[in-house]
Amino acid sequence: MDWPDVGSGMAGFEAFFRDHYAAVVRLAQTVVGDSHGAHDVAQEVFLAAYRRFPGDYEQAAGWVRVAAVHTALNVIRGDRRRDQRQLRVHAVGSPPSPEETVIEREARAEVRRVLRRLPRRTAAVLVMRHGGMSYVEIADALGVKVSHVGTLLRRAESALRKEMDRETRS
Amino acid sequence: MRHVPDGVLRRLDDEPLAVPDRATDHAAACARCSARRVQIADDTERAAQLLSVPRLVPDLDLAWASFQRELDRGPEERGDRGRPARVIPRRRPRFPSLSLRAALIIGAIGVVVAGTAAAATLTTIFAPTRVAPVTLDQRDLQAIGNLIGLGDNRALGGFSAPAGSTALRFGTLKWTSPAAQPPSTLAQASAAAGFPVPLPSHLPAGVGAVQQFSVQPRVSATLTFDAAAGSLDGSSLTLDAGPAVLAQYGGTNGTDMPTLAVVTMPRPTGISTGASLAQIEAFVLGQPGIPPALAEEVRLLGDLKTTLPVPVPSGASVRSVQVAGRPGVLLADSSGAASAVVWEDGHGMLHVVAGILDTHDVLNVAGQLG
Repeated sequence: MDWPDVGSGMAGFEAFFRDHYAAVVRLAQTVVGDSHGAHDVAQEVFLAAYRRFPGDYEQAAGWVRVAAVHTALNVIRGDRRRDQRQLRVHAVGSPPSPEETVIEREARAEVRRVLRRLPRRTAAVLVMRHGGMSYVEIADALGVKVSHVGTLLRRAESALRKEMDRETRS
Repeated sequence: MRHVPDGVLRRLDDEPLAVPDRATDHAAACARCSARRVQIADDTERAAQLLSVPRLVPDLDLAWASFQRELDRGPEERGDRGRPARVIPRRRPRFPSLSLRAALIIGAIGVVVAGTAAAATLTTIFAPTRVAPVTLDQRDLQAIGNLIGLGDNRALGGFSAPAGSTALRFGTLKWTSPAAQPPSTLAQASAAAGFPVPLPSHLPAGVGAVQQFSVQPRVSATLTFDAAAGSLDGSSLTLDAGPAVLAQYGGTNGTDMPTLAVVTMPRPTGISTGASLAQIEAFVLGQPGIPPALAEEVRLLGDLKTTLPVPVPSGASVRSVQVAGRPGVLLADSSGAASAVVWEDGHGMLHVVAGILDTHDVLNVAGQLG
């Protein structure tokens, strides 16, 4: 496996990292829900970007955002027991912080279950938009026309409502 | 006007400036569209609530230190943590090889399809002061070619003869499209075109020197509508593009493969008689075979009197940039190997810089031309 030399290029990558880390963490957090998981996803994404775009980080700005969404979706789809385990740990061991109550965690667990059930592209467009990406960025990420993003988003939000209603009833 | 599609109503809440005024006005005045907009806004608000997370302000110093530690551990120690995140594959980008003349034609076609030229009545000049991307896939190009009588894929090849006419379903298209001239020096190219041609003084490594200049004389096309066009019968639309100067740079590795192209030309103009902008746009975009997505994208361009659609190959990435303070469109293929930027300089000139270069280098070259 080839890794770029750690030298003058590292300064450029550090600047890129600092410019985009917060946006990547936010996207990941929108999916996985907790800050630790979001940081793990972000670290993994930036390590991959460092290897994939040696010395040319202009191209990587969009890529790290898209990679964050899909990596985070992989995380929640690959660990179905995570939500229940987290709820148990929090309920028994640690007191909820002021901004994060047990009820909120339960609600986010519901959202993650729904995101797992939705088609990947539907889940991705929801997370991209509500995680802060513009229509142009989403169009670029999905390989569709900008004018099509509103339609995809509308369908995705409608699908999210229906799935949430189903989740609540069950 | 037809009812506003759901996707446009959705965008109205996020990016209202990207939605044409008439769609906004219709949505406000139409009870049916207003009701749908409320329902869409409800779903949007609910999605926003469900997907909202506590605002996380990461400690960048800590994150960077953690990243460096992970990097020092190397891929083997990290196990599967070092594998690249998987991204849904995108359609393979296509960058059609365009001659200068074909590029001019494409620009003119974009103008026709956009229903640009023409506003008000009698004679109105289309004079774009900004550029905006319009994504074209193979189906779109075929539809455009069929619409203006060029046939399959001929939209990329331009007109087959230096002058002529062809009968369309709704009128007649006449054109003049003289062959390009190959002057040998910048001074000759500038004199033939009739305007100064700026070139970059500092070039990216590997670009090499100018290999050749080329001047494309003005290309003109007049579309005269007949009775089949209904209320447009008797109206005409004339589009002029060029002259344009192409400076083509060659590689330094002993090959003659072009590495950089710099195109300079006056902004294209359009003159209409009779029909209004709204009439022509509605008619052209409503023609059979025009893909609805293309029509919607053109409608989203905004003020067509002052906007030049820049054709973007499907799959290419595109974003808005500033070149010397002026808005431009930056295109790149997904590999980063080729990119191009198009902008109007505020003095009536349109510039294109394209090359086998990354976007940073292309913007550097563009910035030198102002």
